[in-house]
Amino acid sequence: MSLPPDPPPSEPVPSGKETPTLHEPMTHEELDRLWSDPKGLWGQLTGVQNDLIGVRLMLTGFFFLLLGGSFDSVLMRLQLAMPESSIISPQLYNELFTNHGTVTMFLVILPIFEGFAVLLLPFILGSREMPFPRLGAFGFWTLLFGGLLYYSSTLFAAVPDAGWFAYTPLSGPEFSPDLALDFWVLGLGVAEVGAIAVAFEIIIGVLKMRAPGMTLTRIPLFAWSLLVMAFMILFAFTPLIVGSLLLELDRGFGTQFFDPQLGGSSLLWQHIFWIFGHPEVYIQSVPAAGIVSMIIPVFSRARIVGYNWLVAALVAIGFLSFGLWAHHMFTVGLSPIILSFFAAASMAIAIPTGVQFFAWIATIWSGRPAWRTAFLFCVGFLVIFLIGGITGVMVAAPPFDMQAHDSQFVVGHLHYVLIGGVAFPIFAGVYYWFPKFTGKLLDERLGRWNFWLLFIGVNVAFFPMHIVGLMGMPRRVYTYDDGLGWGIYNLISTIGVVAFIVPGIAVFVWNVVRTLRRGEEAGANPWGADTLEWGTPSPPAQHGWSVLPLVTSRHPLWDQDDLHSGEPWLVKFVHGIGNWPLRWRAGVTVGTADGRPQEVFRVADPSIWPLFTAAGVLIIFAAELFKIRWAIGVGALVVIAGVIAWNWPKKAPMTVEEESAFEREHGVPVNAGGSVVIAKWATALGILFVSIAFGTLLLSYFYLRLENPQWPPEGIAQHGLVRPAIAAALVIGGGLIARWGLGRLRDDRRGSFIGALAGTLLMAGAGIVLQVAEHLGYDFTWTAHAYGSIFYTLSGFVIGVAAGMMIMTAMVLYWTIQGQYTARRHAAVAHMIWFWTAAQLIWLVGFATVYLGPRLT
Amino acid sequence: MTLFSTGSFDPQGPVAETMADLWWFMLVLGTAVFILVMALLIWGLSRRRPPTDERPSNESPRSYDWWVLGGGVVLPVVILIVVFGATVLAMTDTPEEIPANALVIELVGHQWWWEVHYPDAGFTTANEMHLPVGRPIAIEMTSADVIHSFWAPALGGKLDLLPDGTNTLVLQADEAGVHNTACAEFCGLQHAEMGLTVVAEPPEEFAVWVAGQMEPAAQPADESAARGEEIFLSSRCVECHTVRGTPAAGDAAPDLTHFASRRRLGAGAAPNNSAELAQWVADPHTIKEGVDMPASQLNDEELAAVVAYLKGLK
Repeated sequence: MSLPPDPPPSEPVPSGKETPTLHEPMTHEELDRLWSDPKGLWGQLTGVQNDLIGVRLMLTGFFFLLLGGSFDSVLMRLQLAMPESSIISPQLYNELFTNHGTVTMFLVILPIFEGFAVLLLPFILGSREMPFPRLGAFGFWTLLFGGLLYYSSTLFAAVPDAGWFAYTPLSGPEFSPDLALDFWVLGLGVAEVGAIAVAFEIIIGVLKMRAPGMTLTRIPLFAWSLLVMAFMILFAFTPLIVGSLLLELDRGFGTQFFDPQLGGSSLLWQHIFWIFGHPEVYIQSVPAAGIVSMIIPVFSRARIVGYNWLVAALVAIGFLSFGLWAHHMFTVGLSPIILSFFAAASMAIAIPTGVQFFAWIATIWSGRPAWRTAFLFCVGFLVIFLIGGITGVMVAAPPFDMQAHDSQFVVGHLHYVLIGGVAFPIFAGVYYWFPKFTGKLLDERLGRWNFWLLFIGVNVAFFPMHIVGLMGMPRRVYTYDDGLGWGIYNLISTIGVVAFIVPGIAVFVWNVVRTLRRGEEAGANPWGADTLEWGTPSPPAQHGWSVLPLVTSRHPLWDQDDLHSGEPWLVKFVHGIGNWPLRWRAGVTVGTADGRPQEVFRVADPSIWPLFTAAGVLIIFAAELFKIRWAIGVGALVVIAGVIAWNWPKKAPMTVEEESAFEREHGVPVNAGGSVVIAKWATALGILFVSIAFGTLLLSYFYLRLENPQWPPEGIAQHGLVRPAIAAALVIGGGLIARWGLGRLRDDRRGSFIGALAGTLLMAGAGIVLQVAEHLGYDFTWTAHAYGSIFYTLSGFVIGVAAGMMIMTAMVLYWTIQGQYTARRHAAVAHMIWFWTAAQLIWLVGFATVYLGPRLT
Repeated sequence: MTLFSTGSFDPQGPVAETMADLWWFMLVLGTAVFILVMALLIWGLSRRRPPTDERPSNESPRSYDWWVLGGGVVLPVVILIVVFGATVLAMTDTPEEIPANALVIELVGHQWWWEVHYPDAGFTTANEMHLPVGRPIAIEMTSADVIHSFWAPALGGKLDLLPDGTNTLVLQADEAGVHNTACAEFCGLQHAEMGLTVVAEPPEEFAVWVAGQMEPAAQPADESAARGEEIFLSSRCVECHTVRGTPAAGDAAPDLTHFASRRRLGAGAAPNNSAELAQWVADPHTIKEGVDMPASQLNDEELAAVVAYLKGLK
């Protein structure tokens, strides 16, 4: 074994002991080849490496930032600099602010943080890859395709103009009849699918793929924050996708969800949108707090104060953020009791935020600051985010919010929160981690210019907005009258953007370009940091860790002299998987709490199917956009084919005997065919995703039910219950047969299992056909009243889930006949049974709701 | 116009007063919190400490846990209880029920103008609302199309006009004054030019105004105005506009019965003078792009006549 010397840190922040070295195995280059993506164009299309996907996600976010964040805001500020100016037309102004909000909220910060996660997590956590490299690639492609589909509206001269919130009925078919809002709904729909896909990957990555010994309480805070963020994405974006579906049904298929004249409700959209929209703000600020929690201790040369408190605060913010959406709706006429509830909930979030603040300040107190650019941005974050937090508590008070709401005050508040609270930590993170992945240190002198220009710019640009807002200037106005006294404040804001923020960003871009060309060499650990990623060379190898590190501390690089000593069996284990004969991409899952190795499995390799499937998703949404309805079917077939091909079982690269031999020697089971542990988690998250979507539809049903005194409306009789009951019995019975079949498979009776699956297909299929026939017999439509709209949509969702189960069952049946599953290897079958259980429950609850809902009085 | 002297900084009624009091209270408290936290931060950053050239090898002193508990939990809880208490007090001071002596005004939002009814007196006007000083006002609001929001910052907070149903806002003006208010919920192309002039005036003047508004439209005063009326009534104008006392009875656009008494035209888009009016009638899109009203095909003489007629609708 050779020990490659660590490059000496250039001008290190004093760090005392040497950074611990790692033992490179002889197989370093072979490992690197094994984990690399193919070369050339094909490699670009099939690549799944976390480095590749992570960097791509971040560049995508930055690309959209330059396009939508900067360009739009400069134009808007130039227009508003003077009263009654006419640099741009009202239509263009409305398009600009719609685009500015939409792009920053959906296409900038989200991909940047997901990119941070995919790129950094394997290094921070001491694993080799993310759990689902292909899902990560799929997430990237869909985010990119969605963003481009949204932006292509410019080419069709139908640019969305109803705000990033797209309130109904303004965004509905009557008041926005052209394609503009379809680009908004459907383009973002594609991107939302991608955001959720990457969230799956992050959740499982943090919970299951860590270095041996990294217990829950040793997970670096940034990883904790990404875990919370990913859960929030799952819980927030799923309702938004459902809401977008309802809006598109209104726009494209004539349903009446949001039309108050026909049983719909304009406020239903606001509720669904803000159940997404408020958590979305914290989806952005939670990982930002995670970055700050990593950087402040390193540059204070002190351990973070109150680690447990900070974890609790992150989790608390995650939960609380779902309980305060209605504070965006304080002026829609809610009752005082609801107002005070949401006011209290909104204010309560200041408590976990206070915990974070004092933990950071105490950390600074207990150490000695080193003034590097990354640290400067963290201090700037503390100042600006504090102001944004204080104004946030103010607008949580309904009597004051009735003045501030939808005024420039809120514009000032939210930019303090999002620029100070999110963009500054992103800059800090880039300055901090850039050397790790490029090997070059960003220039400190340019960094200080970058910081001070932005810090001054944010205050000059956004502070005056608070004042002019309370003077009476509303948001989203392209002009204002002279003589109101608003001109001077607007002029100052414009100067802040043009003279400070734009040059500040330009300095940053220049710094990156200049550093890539001739930057100072960084060395492995230029900051003397404590977390694992700094134990790899800069830039790190394709496969990350040749020998997985063994973690015995929360600050391994500060506390451990050697990252590869520990319990003898663990030492033997990490070298075992770092060496042949494991001639495949071996990943390790660990116990969620104790961090002990659970399983060695084969991580998926590069594949074209994620791109293919993403293209299918794009076809579905684009076909609806351009009203080429048959192409929706084509897209659906592409997605189904893509998912099947993607998951096509691959011959395990090891025999069962070899697997057992490894397990006997190392004490950790091997699943060379693919992970059981991770698939189980993915199944659970998949079921959670479907359940959240279903739950959103149920909430919509009952919201409309409560809004309408007469339900069903006049002219629709109560439905008969006999045939739906028979259909439900058939579908549920069919699922139970599959469950029975799984038991036979475990007893190695494959024939009975095949028979059971065939029985499932027949019986559940009959149930689905019967229910569809029942629907075809109804004489009410989905266009006449919101009752019909939600009736058919909710039933359609339930039937769609069951139809998905039929496809899954058919594929499992086919693979069983092909001999894929045995009494020992059949995890996929067990997971299908979980899905069946969920589908049965959804069928039961869904049809109980549509058939018994009208009978509730 | 100086700092802190207009809009919600200059409350002219009890509701706005309550809101402004809450704002100043929270501003003082927020500033105190900001100064406290900043002082701790700056002190922590600048105090002299011996150089640490060790890897931080020990856990931070336990004493810092008290920072998190005291500063991060206890301090915010105490402050939030105070703020929430002040909020609830302010909410109880904001009337929810319609007071018995309130004047009821019905407000209907349109893209992009305001329809104003006085149900007791039984007349309709547009884009200008008059209020008697010293009497509670209940504005019952709804929308004919998309969501709008009414906001007169010196008199009280905002409330949305929904197509779903009626919202009621109670406020009161204690001082006479003219408030040029704007729609506060984005409502489409001309959201920025959807102004409502709110005129608070002494009860006597208000009574005179009401009496005037209840009258049918004034007869044309001269030949030119009479010619203008003729053109008006024989053109497409009547499909959308109402002039009480004439056959014009359209309801898709502002009531013009007492149009000349209003301060602004085009829902706040321009001052209501003859020059602007002539331009508006000739082609309103040059003043307010995108409105429903089409450009007219009148020659100069006809245009002057129509303007004379409209300026006579006092």
